Amino acid sequence: MAILKIGKMVMGSLFRKPATLMYPVVPRKWQERTRGHIEIVIEDCILCGICAKKCPTDAITVAKDTKSWTIRRMQCIQCSCCVEVCPKKCLDNKNEYTIPSAEKLVDSFEKPAAEPAAAGAGAAAAAPAAAPADGTLKCADTCIYCGICAKKCPQDALTVSRKKKNAQTGEQEGENIWSVNAETCILCGICVEACPKKSLAIE
Amino acid sequence: MSKRTIIPFGPQHPVLPEPVHLDLVIEDERVVEAIPSIGYIHRGLEKLVEKREFTEMVYVIERICGICSFGHGWGYCKSVEGNMGIVVPDRAEFLRTIWHELSRMHSHLLWLGLLADGFGFESLFMHSWRLRETVLDIFEKTTGGRVIFSVCKLGGVRKDIDADGLKEIVKLLAGMKAEIKELTDVFLEDYSVKNRLVGVGVLSRDEAAELCTVGPMARASGLRQDIRLDGHGAYAKLAFEPAVEEDGDCHARCKVRVRELFQSIDLITQCAESMPDGEISVPVKGSPSGEFVARMEQPRGEAYYYSIGNGSKFLERMRVRTPTNMNIPAMVKTLQGCDLADVPMLILTIDPCISCTER
Repeated sequence: MAILKIGKMVMGSLFRKPATLMYPVVPRKWQERTRGHIEIVIEDCILCGICAKKCPTDAITVAKDTKSWTIRRMQCIQCSCCVEVCPKKCLDNKNEYTIPSAEKLVDSFEKPAAEPAAAGAGAAAAAPAAAPADGTLKCADTCIYCGICAKKCPQDALTVSRKKKNAQTGEQEGENIWSVNAETCILCGICVEACPKKSLAIE
Repeated sequence: MSKRTIIPFGPQHPVLPEPVHLDLVIEDERVVEAIPSIGYIHRGLEKLVEKREFTEMVYVIERICGICSFGHGWGYCKSVEGNMGIVVPDRAEFLRTIWHELSRMHSHLLWLGLLADGFGFESLFMHSWRLRETVLDIFEKTTGGRVIFSVCKLGGVRKDIDADGLKEIVKLLAGMKAEIKELTDVFLEDYSVKNRLVGVGVLSRDEAAELCTVGPMARASGLRQDIRLDGHGAYAKLAFEPAVEEDGDCHARCKVRVRELFQSIDLITQCAESMPDGEISVPVKGSPSGEFVARMEQPRGEAYYYSIGNGSKFLERMRVRTPTNMNIPAMVKTLQGCDLADVPMLILTIDPCISCTER
């Protein structure tokens, strides 16, 4: 009786094409949302290092001295955490899996020189809008010392404080201060975007 | 007078998907006593909370287990959300329920395959896993991952499923229903399958309650115990009655899981029909500072997530208690007095997940 019960299914399989696929010889169909590997548009990258800091498996290394962004492919778990935190949105999770390999793949990308004669091949949509990697953060007189920039700063490089009214005497106390620590500032541009008065700029 | 011998069983054994070691004390062909030992794949994931921010910990918790990964992620999120007083939008709860029920289907189909493989019915095993592939495809389409989804986050979910997507899922599952019926009829009615399962490893209702069994193991012994009944997620808004069987043997455990397969399809259809509009996540501000216990009904049974915060980005302590942990005493109990040839069946029917247990 067992033959009759499963017979229909077995007969169906005899005349159907195999349910399996000879991967990777036969390429598989990717879904739109498939998370396969991380890709970077290195021209837009400002080497802020937030992706490396947030990566749950420490698969990403960002070297500011050599201006390079490195990913250890086998260590990456495709969680898309770096894509979410990237302030310049230059990271993306693409469909294709990295090819099967017996060695631990490491991909390194070097940021081309800032000159417009972009040496990097295939950098068609390169970054005219990208923030310059060199420069300083400047604050204009329109600043209202709201402190939003300091709250948003991923490096805690900004210090903002403003005058406070003393409840008893009614006098203004303290000073209006806006300062940036040039050593820790990574010129990511998050504060420039967050400023409600548009008084910040990287020059 | 027969002589007692000890047969070591596992951690490497053809029927064991995961490493557990048993010392079987044998008298003739009968098992007198079974002494379990675990500890082969401890990874110390609970300790990692000291090094990973509570928002990033979701990725780690999801990787406790490859089968109930979504449920683990949800359980952790539920625990920390309760800790911080975050109210998750309705739509996110419905989406989470859909993915959780799909996980249950994928887990039960995998288990049916392993069971068939355990009693040597290879083609049944292949067909179970072929059907499971449809569920994995739905996962890939909606979340981007096949096994680990990274779609559950604190305060909601990352990805949405639009109305067309929901319709497609319901259509696919409706099409699968006939195939699953055909497949599971073999498990439930076939003579040779019944020969291996009926009357094997009977656990009475009282024993099941006394040994604190959870999940399908408890329900197969007549205990009406299911955490989904407390109405977390979208379950409060869905018509739902747990699958309970009275026999308490291997066949009853198989039957409970088969019934749950159809129940999951029904729950997903209900979710798709009554999916509310609105946001899919809310922003998370601040750090957890309280303590909270969340419970989840995983495919294997009740799981328990405890978190305590200290106001910093790192949780003070995080604890996960998984269903297999609770079912091992019952497994040892059913092994006493069974035939040596039935040992694989008894181990498989608790659906052991040692990765979960050891974390």
